[in-house]
Amino acid sequence: MCSNVRWPRKVAQAGLLGLFIIISLTVHAQDDGITADGFKAVPILTGSTAYFTRVTAGQYQDAPSVSPILLLPVGDKWLVEAKGSYSDTFSKNAQGDYHGTISYGMAYGQIDYIANRYMTFVAGRFTTPFNIYGERLAPNWIRALQTGPLTSPVTSGSALGGMMRGGFPGTDSLNVTYALYFSANNTHHLLATDRSTGGRLGFFLPHQRLEVGASFQQVLQADRPHSSGVFLEWQPNRAPLTIRSEYVRSSGTKGSAYWIESVYRLSQISALRRLELVGRGEQFFAASNLSAATVKKLGALGKDTNEGDFGLNYYLRSDVRASASYGRQFVLGRDANLWVVGMTYRFVMPMLPQGGAR
Amino acid sequence: MKIKFFLAAFLVATALSLGLMANASSGGGKDAAKDSSAPTVSAEQSAALNESMHVEGEKRFRSNCGRCHAAPPKFPPRMMTTIVRHMRVRATITDQDMRLILRYMTE
Repeated sequence: MCSNVRWPRKVAQAGLLGLFIIISLTVHAQDDGITADGFKAVPILTGSTAYFTRVTAGQYQDAPSVSPILLLPVGDKWLVEAKGSYSDTFSKNAQGDYHGTISYGMAYGQIDYIANRYMTFVAGRFTTPFNIYGERLAPNWIRALQTGPLTSPVTSGSALGGMMRGGFPGTDSLNVTYALYFSANNTHHLLATDRSTGGRLGFFLPHQRLEVGASFQQVLQADRPHSSGVFLEWQPNRAPLTIRSEYVRSSGTKGSAYWIESVYRLSQISALRRLELVGRGEQFFAASNLSAATVKKLGALGKDTNEGDFGLNYYLRSDVRASASYGRQFVLGRDANLWVVGMTYRFVMPMLPQGGAR
Repeated sequence: MKIKFFLAAFLVATALSLGLMANASSGGGKDAAKDSSAPTVSAEQSAALNESMHVEGEKRFRSNCGRCHAAPPKFPPRMMTTIVRHMRVRATITDQDMRLILRYMTE
């Protein structure tokens, strides 16, 4: 009886595997390789280091961190990429002494296969393709404000499984991007993921420098909540301004949230051309009808929250950035000031001697 | 319920793949047609083409890469090839944009 019930699932899994193989073989002949100009890709170690002092509601934290990324190209179509993270957070304990807490993990460890110009297959542990913050803006040398947005905890940030993604020009003035994934459940304390599926569809207008898109995620375990979201990113041609926004809504106990961020580079003033002004406003709406026990269990996700942040980023070089920001968080009965000051350094180095030679 | 999701994912993947493959095939045909009818270019035409590709590459670089982060320096060509491949996957940059950006960043 059990085997009778399970066989359609196995057929579906076999079908997906078969589809992967067939598509790979079919499109192989259409592709002329991605290595333009005859350069052979070289393994690279990149990533960032950072040192930030945070003061959250009067509590000091000093946190040096490093996030290395290994990029290992194999041939013209494969790329192995892995990102780790290590940080030591120092804060005062009950005795008034500074005490360090080490944390480490693997953000992603994935194998990419560029099947053709429209499609890439990814397998392993990867960042969930939901909206834009997690995949593109989260690294501390990229994010405009070091405090994460209130939308981040609403969805599953990492996945373990397979993904199909890519981008292609729909017309001369429109690029379409997509990502579809499936993730298995993993209970390892460092690599935990939910069993889930979902995807993202984006439309990029390169002339207007405007991108809009939508995401969906269905968790396939526990109370099986689903999340949906939309995002926008716009860089007007006439001003060194970037406007970004995300909205996320969850059907479960995690509520909904949105943020709007603007980044203005003072490139028109020669003395201040390395300086960026950043502002972000955001709101989190806790799910309604939560019991007192659930609110306690959810912690920050159990209460409505409003937050406004303002920050400055100064680029000493293109890879060294000093940042400072102030934020005010409004939570029922516990408003807080959020101060952050620190520096980031992005490094890139070849893993072979002669990395720059042909 | 789980089976439904597998089947739904399978159907979506199939539909998308067929659509993209059809698109890819038609695109490849156009490229082939262009190649077969391409006349021999003079030095002036070649220079103009290079200049045009440089301008277009810079434009694609600014619109794709500048959306998320500050402009990096130009790295050696073999490093740049790896970086652009990484960003192609991470930021779902189109193949055409990737080639123009790589060309621009390795000039």
